[in-house]
Amino acid sequence: MSAVSALGAVIPSPLARRNPTVKLAILFIVSLVLLFVFDPVTPGLLYLLGLAAVLGFARIPVRTLLLAHLPFVGFALGILVVNALSRPGEVVIDLPPIRVTVEGLLVGSALALRTMAIGILSIGFIATTDPVALMTSLHQHARLSARVTFAVLAGYRMLQQLPREWQVIRQAQSVRAPLRDNGATPFGIRAFGRAAFTLLVVSLRRGERMSQSLESRGLGLGARTVWRPVPLGPADWLLLAGTVGVLALVIAGVGTLGLGLGPGVLF
Amino acid sequence: MSDSVVPAVWFRDVSVRFPRQERAVLHGATLTIAAGEQVVVFGPSGAGKSTLLAAITAVVPHSVVAEITGAVTVAGLDTLATEVVELSRHLGVLPQDPDSAVCLPGVAQELAFVLENRAVPPAEIADRIDAALDLVGAAGLRDRQTGSLSGGESQRVALAAALIGRPDVLLLDEPTSMLDADGVRQVRDAVGAVARTGAVAVLLVEHRLDEYAGSRGVAGLPARCIVLGADGTITHDGPTASVLPAAAAQLHRAGCWLPCESELEAALGFSGGLAAPRVQRALRELAGDAADAGAHRAPEFGPVVLAGHDLAVSRDAAPRPVRRRPWPFRRAGQPGQDARRDGTVGRAEGAGRRRVLVRGVDLELHAGEIVAVLGRNGAGKSSLLLTLAGLLAPAGGRVTGARPGLVFQNPEHQFLGNTVREEIAVELPDGSERVARVLAEHGLGHLADRSPYRLSGGQKRRVSLAAMLVHDRPSLLADEPTLGLDRRATIATIAAFRRAARSGRGILLCSHDLRTVATLADRVLVVADGRIVADGPVVEVLRQGDVLARAGITVPPLLGWLVAELPSGTQLRRALDALDATVDAAAGGADPAARPGTDASADDAGLPAAAGRAR
Repeated sequence: MSAVSALGAVIPSPLARRNPTVKLAILFIVSLVLLFVFDPVTPGLLYLLGLAAVLGFARIPVRTLLLAHLPFVGFALGILVVNALSRPGEVVIDLPPIRVTVEGLLVGSALALRTMAIGILSIGFIATTDPVALMTSLHQHARLSARVTFAVLAGYRMLQQLPREWQVIRQAQSVRAPLRDNGATPFGIRAFGRAAFTLLVVSLRRGERMSQSLESRGLGLGARTVWRPVPLGPADWLLLAGTVGVLALVIAGVGTLGLGLGPGVLF
Repeated sequence: MSDSVVPAVWFRDVSVRFPRQERAVLHGATLTIAAGEQVVVFGPSGAGKSTLLAAITAVVPHSVVAEITGAVTVAGLDTLATEVVELSRHLGVLPQDPDSAVCLPGVAQELAFVLENRAVPPAEIADRIDAALDLVGAAGLRDRQTGSLSGGESQRVALAAALIGRPDVLLLDEPTSMLDADGVRQVRDAVGAVARTGAVAVLLVEHRLDEYAGSRGVAGLPARCIVLGADGTITHDGPTASVLPAAAAQLHRAGCWLPCESELEAALGFSGGLAAPRVQRALRELAGDAADAGAHRAPEFGPVVLAGHDLAVSRDAAPRPVRRRPWPFRRAGQPGQDARRDGTVGRAEGAGRRRVLVRGVDLELHAGEIVAVLGRNGAGKSSLLLTLAGLLAPAGGRVTGARPGLVFQNPEHQFLGNTVREEIAVELPDGSERVARVLAEHGLGHLADRSPYRLSGGQKRRVSLAAMLVHDRPSLLADEPTLGLDRRATIATIAAFRRAARSGRGILLCSHDLRTVATLADRVLVVADGRIVADGPVVEVLRQGDVLARAGITVPPLLGWLVAELPSGTQLRRALDALDATVDAAAGGADPAARPGTDASADDAGLPAAAGRAR
């Protein structure tokens, strides 16, 4: 069975072969550490390292990689602008009503680069991970209960059918809508709300039937086996240790150079 | 696994009553199903068939609030004291809806899931998956994604998943009611293969027994038969071959679909099926004289109300650009032209990117005419309707005519109101007198203040049809308007379409239900291999064996005989109408308004069968 990720088919690559739980843990650790870093250099370096790792080991098509960047870039720019304009401190540009401060630029760029660093790791994680393998692995290695993992998988299948269902509902309801002078059918808040309600009703029904199906298949009988376990080997531990090592090196290096800043910069 | 002394299923004096309902759904049921026994349960809509299954799976009373009296055991376990999940060790269930029958993204994973839950050693799992898929004739589906399966394939995978845990009892809950002819055949053959192993007791609940039994008739059904009456009691229990003739008249009147020979016996009073000379004579009498006035007169229809010119149909179109087009849409669908008018069309749907399902469609729909489109699932019938309705941009050619109405397969997709009355009144001026008239016309008066979502399947379809007919659009399109309906609701639908045609509408419908098509349609189009391969009167098209084979159409035995023996379409229609008229139009003597409003409630057909006379 070919693996499919949320960003298209999973292309065999060194990163795709690693354990999903370990990859998720790395993403979590880096995000957690970055929460306490408020200088632009550390997240900037981590972003470049992450980009290099993804380019080198994930074999994601460049187009997909660029497109996946868009939401993170948009969010990062937003953070940068808001901070630069709103944070009090030493003024660099003063063109009323626009006033940009040094502190604002510093914290803003730190937060923006943090977004990018977490973003590149998320892209690397999502594009190389089959959701089914992730769920199996979370059940196996993170002790997530089978009820949760399989409910998520059944939900994932429903999610795949959702766009098609939405299209049919929209078509079915627009047949009944009045025509405007130009021949279009209006699609305002009301029509949207109605279609959303119908989708909700139809999905709830299906969800109920699916949960009955899962139960009739014996989900929740107690001790269970796993047919195709997701492997967790030395390479995975090496990946985890390596990443944590690099993270520590970067923070230590930046600190030694005196460029590191903690949450204290906010006050 | 099963001990032959312990019955697979055992009921003693079981009654089930749902809250806020006066009548028990299941009433004093006592039955024993031995290990490995094959049983078919049938009865009219709302007779308690689903409740019987729910009592076996222990969904009643554990998951659904209901009052249950008496005792039920499954493989010796008391269902009142056993959790649903614990009983799943002994039960395999195949539900009605293929979409919710499989839950996980991959086929192999779906099957492994059952065994994992039962803690089967991983080393055995692969072999058991292969064996289960082999048994249902689905070995080739092992590596497929479940989202890409057809209805028939989904149901076979679900059947394999129900069997892979080696249950004592296999429950089949109307497993073919949502499938086309190919799907019905696939599932029936798979169930047959399972039954022949004798390792599992099979309980089949089905109302479309004519399709399920297929050409083998009564012999194609499980050996034992239990019949539920409209009041929820067991009225018959015994060998199918002897019970069915005894119960046929009762079931037929109540609106059940029966195998051909049983139906003929109930309607005509003669046994022996189509081979018997007396039956043949009676059918010819129903059909009347070929020289009868009007038999050869060409039907007169009004002007063309909707037409497609060299139309190419594709499913891959965003509906968005289409909405921007003025009605009536006289615009060609060529990408170049579209791109000039509306940039979004050219961008998203260059001709090369859209996979064309049907091309070269030239069709004219006249006022008062009923045309049916036949063909396999996925042949492009629904997409053709969407294109004609202006919801999909044509991949080529053009559509002319005023805006048509379109009734979708799932009525719930189209509901816009909170009550049936609001539903009909959508886009009408406040206090329009049409609402009351249409409610009465379609027998919906007593349901006017109910939520459309809480009606039975047949009632929902009636509401969506009425809501479309209340507007004066000159043509009406309908996608599988009789799917999943019992016979009484089907007859009511036929009558409603005929009235709409008589009032001057052109009607185009696509359907797998050949009998309804033969009863209703003036003309038939057959879609196969990406184009229209036949276009003509029902009788003529159904006589072309090669065309039917290309389009995967199986003509049921009775219809096949009538088409072969009767010279004209008028006679064919007269015979089918006469058979329909032998079904009671009223709901089993009970007052429909007094029936509680759950999905399980009977479908009252508030339309007199007399309205369904030939036009």
